Amino acid sequence: MSKRAVDSVFQAMFLLTDLRVILRDTAPVHDLDEGQQATVARTLAELEEQVRVIRKEMVG
Amino acid sequence: MKCGLCLEVRDIDETTINIDPIQVGGRLTADAMKAVIAYGDGYSVCDNCRKPNRLDMIKSPPIDAFHRDLAAFVNMDEARVVPGARRGFQAVAGTYVEKGDPVLLTALSHYTEFLSVEAYGGVPLEIQKSPENIITADAAGEKIDSVQREFGRPPKLLYIDHFDYQFGNEHEVKGIIKVAKQNDIPVLYNGAYTVGIMPVDGHDLGADFVVGSAHKSMASPAPSGVLAVTKERAGEVFRTTTAQADLTKRTFGIKEVEMMGCTLMGVTLVGMMASFPHVRERVKHWDRHLSNGRMIVDALLAVDGTAVQSEYPRTHTLTRIDTTGSFDTVARTHKKRGFFLASALKEKGIAGTIPGATKVWKFNTYGMTDSQARYTAKAFQDIALLNGLPVSH
Repeated sequence: MSKRAVDSVFQAMFLLTDLRVILRDTAPVHDLDEGQQATVARTLAELEEQVRVIRKEMVG
Repeated sequence: MKCGLCLEVRDIDETTINIDPIQVGGRLTADAMKAVIAYGDGYSVCDNCRKPNRLDMIKSPPIDAFHRDLAAFVNMDEARVVPGARRGFQAVAGTYVEKGDPVLLTALSHYTEFLSVEAYGGVPLEIQKSPENIITADAAGEKIDSVQREFGRPPKLLYIDHFDYQFGNEHEVKGIIKVAKQNDIPVLYNGAYTVGIMPVDGHDLGADFVVGSAHKSMASPAPSGVLAVTKERAGEVFRTTTAQADLTKRTFGIKEVEMMGCTLMGVTLVGMMASFPHVRERVKHWDRHLSNGRMIVDALLAVDGTAVQSEYPRTHTLTRIDTTGSFDTVARTHKKRGFFLASALKEKGIAGTIPGATKVWKFNTYGMTDSQARYTAKAFQDIALLNGLPVSH
């Protein structure tokens, strides 16, 4: 298995962790302000890229 | 949702505002959560442990530098990580206390301080609290004199909590340490509710030992903590083994006796390390957390019949409140009885109070965002109004 896949798995979990912390900071109503929404959008885009790498490396 | 077969996912901090008195300062930072993901396996920090094979000397990850940073953080000379503040108490007591030795605690000391003295045969004796639930320097002086008369010698050690766990009250730490020093009594400063949430300067206080709880106040997994000491005490508390096995003639290098060799060998330590830069920064913003706490206390006090049992105005985010004259009057006739309050809070997304408690209870507001603090203050008043309790504005 490639180091690239390993790195992407960790990176994906770290990005999800960043989302988890936003959920904590905005609990209980999770009414995100514009800045938080932009952060979530950027994080999701990075996450999708990591998922793409994982799929390519581990599924083919 | 479950983690594996039997553990429910714990999402209390993702779904609610948690005001549990002991949990809020130990919530992980994002970096600590990431470190937990990467270092969850058993002895995960030992990959690069080389001779002389001791935790505080490992260079990769930079555990050696972290220990120096920890000592500097509380302005002491040397530090070790320990499995919780209680193990720090135990290491100090194990070094100095012998059977029959008097040791001074206070009327508000945590039970683990008593156990640490008991473990070595010491006699725990309490400094009286004032009617306002404050431990004063005068009371400490009186107790020292009393011990001197009774035992014919001064106490072997004195433990003082800067803020106690029962009221979150601030005690006369500096004055108490000064009195102890005048009587040549070493002092253990218990910073379970300070180290990691507000600035602590051990040298300025005059403490011989500073103990902190990382899982309570340093955004770290449990059990974790810090024991920091002066250079004069380091050789005593962190003494190294001199044992030799009788048959095999083995010796055990420079392992430290009170640390039982190495202490936090994996996820707890990396959690501390990953959170540390954030912790070092957050203590500078204690005033903001205190301000939010005061706002919530004042919102509760606006509910007629509510009283605060902690000192007021508040100097800590941990508060003991008495709602016997307010929420408890609702509980007497409510169909959910005493459980109505925790239930109403849960409906509003606030957790961490003891279900059924409507008389005297504690909460801690540390770590909230300003928005969450305003929400919590309003939630208490909304619940009061909904249940017919007058609220002054």
